[in-house]
Amino acid sequence: MQKLGKNATKARATRKISSIHIAGWGLIGFGAIALTTSIIYSSLILAFIGLGLVFWGIIINYITTEEYVKKTLLDTTTLPSLTIIDEMLKELNYNSKAVYLPPKYLREIESNKIYIPKHEGTKLPTPEQILQEDKTFIRNPEAIVLTPLGNELTKLFEKTLNTSFAKVDLAYLVQEIPKLLIEDLEIAENIKIEIENSIVRVRMENSIYKDICKESEKLSGMFRSLGCPISSAIACTLAKATGRPVIVSKHQTSEDGKIIDVEYELLEEPKEKS
Amino acid sequence: MMTFPLGFWDISLWLAITAIILIITSEMLSPYYGKINVHINKKRLKNASLATSMAFLITVAVRIINILTS
Repeated sequence: MQKLGKNATKARATRKISSIHIAGWGLIGFGAIALTTSIIYSSLILAFIGLGLVFWGIIINYITTEEYVKKTLLDTTTLPSLTIIDEMLKELNYNSKAVYLPPKYLREIESNKIYIPKHEGTKLPTPEQILQEDKTFIRNPEAIVLTPLGNELTKLFEKTLNTSFAKVDLAYLVQEIPKLLIEDLEIAENIKIEIENSIVRVRMENSIYKDICKESEKLSGMFRSLGCPISSAIACTLAKATGRPVIVSKHQTSEDGKIIDVEYELLEEPKEKS
Repeated sequence: MMTFPLGFWDISLWLAITAIILIITSEMLSPYYGKINVHINKKRLKNASLATSMAFLITVAVRIINILTS
């Protein structure tokens, strides 16, 4: 049923795009006729009309957008997976805060992982300990290493900016993330990033993820430390750029969901036992 | 003899007007002024407006060079 719905939406989008292309090519065709006629009759007016039609035909074909889907579809398809992860972690009794791991903890530098210890107060293991086990469920200390919600979004950020966050610093993020989220990806209307020692505060206004973020706050306290997809993606970028483990210390969405305040804490790396 | 009725100066003027229209449109549709429901590739629109503006500036430069060399 869901597949049928998706196919129908895709077909509608394709139809819309093809009708725009037809309009664009129609304008080019009429423009070409007008230009030819203007040459035959030496008409200045027809030449201007022809030039205008050809130009706008090309512009319409060029600026035609990629496929768009309704926001409600995004919300309804994302929320169930968040609930499943939350239920699973609750069932397994994982109640501690999730830690976003920096690249040195990972085998592949492009990937992102979160570390959730089973018991509160468990210290973050060294990169060697995590790399040695290289499993989802770690036994010593008992913890789980998962791919975060914002994993693919972080990869999209890197692809759009044509860089790897592991090669940049915090100053680069403060400069580029607002432009990326507002202008390039149109995820939020406004974004502010403040840094105070090891605390990074991010305020997003009117984000497309506002409903998902609001709903995810209703889930368990542990799940709130994972953040919603957008705050999770920012946590991944922070962990990569700073090279330090990151936790989501505060996640708050306003009553109407328009403002999302997220506070990240950059943790100190654990020292190796000598 | 059949000739194209528009001169260089006509094209320059047309480019100037088109560039202004495109620049204003791309600025009005900028996501910095809030979300809008016009589903077009705004980056491409911005590129097209900049390209048209550049084309106009080139015609101006050609005109200036003509005046200086004549």
